[in-house]
Amino acid sequence: MRLRAAGALTRTPVVLALLAVALAASALAGLALGPVRIPPGQVLDIVLAGPGPGGGAGAFGAIVWDVRMPRVLLGAVVGAGLAVAGTVLQALVRNPLADPFLLGASSGASAGAVLVIVFGAGFLGFAGGAAVPLAAFAGSMGALVAVYAMARRGGAMTTGRLILAGVAVQYVLSALTSLILVLAAHPDQIRSVLFWTLGGLGGARWGELALPAGALLLGTALLVALARPLDLLLAGEEGARTLGLDTSRFRAAVFVLTSLVIGVLVAYSGAIGFVGLMVPHAARMVVGAGHRALLPVAALGGAVFLTLADLIARTAAAPEEIPVGVVTALVGGPFFLWMLRRSTRTEGIVG
Amino acid sequence: MEYCTEGKVGLDQLRTEITEVARTFGVPERGERLLADERRRIEAVSARVKDRAKPAVFVYDSGEASAFTSGGKGIGNEIVALAGGTNVFADLDDTFGDVSWEKVIERKPEVVLIYDYGGTTVEAKKQRLLNDPALAQVPAIKNRRFVVLPLSSAVLGVRIADAVESLGGQLHPDAA
Repeated sequence: MRLRAAGALTRTPVVLALLAVALAASALAGLALGPVRIPPGQVLDIVLAGPGPGGGAGAFGAIVWDVRMPRVLLGAVVGAGLAVAGTVLQALVRNPLADPFLLGASSGASAGAVLVIVFGAGFLGFAGGAAVPLAAFAGSMGALVAVYAMARRGGAMTTGRLILAGVAVQYVLSALTSLILVLAAHPDQIRSVLFWTLGGLGGARWGELALPAGALLLGTALLVALARPLDLLLAGEEGARTLGLDTSRFRAAVFVLTSLVIGVLVAYSGAIGFVGLMVPHAARMVVGAGHRALLPVAALGGAVFLTLADLIARTAAAPEEIPVGVVTALVGGPFFLWMLRRSTRTEGIVG
Repeated sequence: MEYCTEGKVGLDQLRTEITEVARTFGVPERGERLLADERRRIEAVSARVKDRAKPAVFVYDSGEASAFTSGGKGIGNEIVALAGGTNVFADLDDTFGDVSWEKVIERKPEVVLIYDYGGTTVEAKKQRLLNDPALAQVPAIKNRRFVVLPLSSAVLGVRIADAVESLGGQLHPDAA
């Protein structure tokens, strides 16, 4: 046990450094590759010239600075955020199947967005382009609050109640979304609904980066500060309480914090699946279950993974785009299974 | 009809459609009359704009994260050409298709043709385009050159001549 801990301690900085290099490389690839072919040398010139009115180099400048750059950044932010949220929720409910969307966030966001797209013409006119993301955020918050309230009933919040409430709310909201789509939606609206159910980063612009980035940085910083009590949760309900943790209160507080982060991310990217489920497990296989090392590794790993997945999403079938959620599952799934087979570690959540 | 076909959709398909419907209802001569009228009106527009410079037109049907536009095989492509413009996505091998915004920027359209239909208003679509910082340098957006067609006349059917006349007038307002 002690040996392994020591190994993880020396291993973590190396892993972090490797992931940082991978993130830089995938971000550069994300700037250089896309449906419009721009020579890599010219991309470098455009990036070094800095942002200007029109990016300096006309159409290519606008493509690199105003389309690809914010998209790469949003991908990194969302990937990191989903991975961190997934890591924490898996510890929180002590269940390896937990992910950011288990507790209703994605189905709530889809339901909110669909409601506004199909019925909310007036609201759309009033709030403009922000209407649908706002509705998605409201929907995911509503779902999480409902889950929270039901899980909390009877004074304490137990993991079993939390998972069951989450799954039930998710089913109800997904059914509601399908009902609206079948009964009311025009064919053209179904296309924009797909974005919310499968996720996408194609609409990313500079003005939309501040909020998700802020939520990610603040949320991750707070959670890293809470690494020790999160570790205590792994000792089980009794164990954690014996070690002096008010598990019910702690769980509620962390749940609210993660929910806010997830709600903000989903409002900008739709529900991109798989990242928040698998990246935490992959990170645990590499650096173990201690959250002080695990959370930064998961964050960087999620950022790298989603940046690469989005690169595939927009180049594989160019000029058409594949929803990034399809890529994360199709490409990430087999990779994760391979990792699972290779791994000998069964500590932490799995096991 | 337009969605069911594999090949290019153009005026030949319009003739087939009108002739078949007229025959089915037992009024082939009225079909012929309608067809001749459509043809005469379309040719009048094409003759009027023949010597004009043909502006690059980007058809915006809908789309947020990507743009849903008219490809080279659709009647939309034909309408733009007949009305004296060039569709910037004429090389897209489909009637309609999703293209990424970076492609739109690269093609530098001079005019945006918005299809008017369904839940999203023309004004909302205009605002979507005008408020996108990535599109600010696109000539059509910079100069606010928007033209509009109801989607009902931009799909294969008896309103094609209406669409060509309307679009021809909007693209070349000073063509006598």
